[in-house]
Amino acid sequence: MADFDLESLIHVEQNFYDSGYTDGFDHGRIHGLIEGRALGREKGFEMWEELGFYEGFALTWKGIFAMQGREDDRASNHIRHLLELIAQFPRVNLSASDTSSELDIPKLFRQIRSRYKALCSTLGVRPSLRAAENNSPAEDEDTESQAELRQGLTVTGNGGERKNVWKVEGKGRPTGQDLSF
Amino acid sequence: MDSPWDENPDYNTSREAEWTRMSTDFTNVGYREGITAGKESALQEGFDSGFANVGAPIGRDLGILRGMCSAIVTSLTSSTGGETESMAIEARDIAAKLSDIRFSDISPRDLEAEEHARQHLEDDEHGMDVNEEIAEKREVEGLEDMLAKLTAGTSMGAHETGRPTEDDVRVLKGRLENLVQRMGITVNWS
Repeated sequence: MADFDLESLIHVEQNFYDSGYTDGFDHGRIHGLIEGRALGREKGFEMWEELGFYEGFALTWKGIFAMQGREDDRASNHIRHLLELIAQFPRVNLSASDTSSELDIPKLFRQIRSRYKALCSTLGVRPSLRAAENNSPAEDEDTESQAELRQGLTVTGNGGERKNVWKVEGKGRPTGQDLSF
Repeated sequence: MDSPWDENPDYNTSREAEWTRMSTDFTNVGYREGITAGKESALQEGFDSGFANVGAPIGRDLGILRGMCSAIVTSLTSSTGGETESMAIEARDIAAKLSDIRFSDISPRDLEAEEHARQHLEDDEHGMDVNEEIAEKREVEGLEDMLAKLTAGTSMGAHETGRPTEDDVRVLKGRLENLVQRMGITVNWS
């Protein structure tokens, strides 16, 4: 009889825990979605504002050259490549689709930046600070250009001080399963 | 002999209290761990949706306008003439106004987040915590606003009061499109 009592008591504890866990999980999900959305918005804006800038810049110069009847010079070549590279850049966060994707985002980002800078030097124009360092005043990293590159990296990897943010999308999406009983 | 404790009501209530305490304790522990797990399970989903549905498209739209403007400014300053001069002034003005726009000025409200924060305020006195990185950013923006107000009095006074809105972006976009037309160029962007 003592045995039975003990058994059922453990079970009862488990039941309390479980019912608390389920409620907590639902509440936590709401918070996770809200906080995740806020972070994703910021990051998506930051990345695509920069890429959009290059795109608008390249498209406009393309239009200017077309108007002037210039076609096959070096600048046009840079423009074409730049636009091609930007077109490859995903508009959704990669971790969502599949992690096995062969797309190397940091590399692509670097290529886009250097192609933009090449275009600028061909045009004899000073490149936007975006290509060199982060012009966002809210950025607190000390070595800007490095930090900027690292940011590109961290979208899929885990990097530096932002680890707590980006581990979200690290290896495999975390599920409650590992933590549940 | 069957239940000797029944005769002792004091003991019985304390047993009940013990039972309640235990149930609350275990429920609370479960709740806390559930919250953490639930949050972890949804962060990525939220991130991806915020990235794809809000951040990336809004960022791209604004970036394209800024990029176009940058190209126009640079192309116009390399040539001279009366008409070009006035177009260059217009381009520089648009560029300056575009550069003043922040994401927080034009990002749509997250109604679900606002609603949930309201619920928290009703349930417990302390509101919902905001992600520290974002909170920090807003703080810096607040400082910028303060600085802008301070310098506005002494310098050119170009700072209007109040932040730009989506409507301002639309107006700037219209002006930019006009300018592109005046220059006689075609820009194909979707």
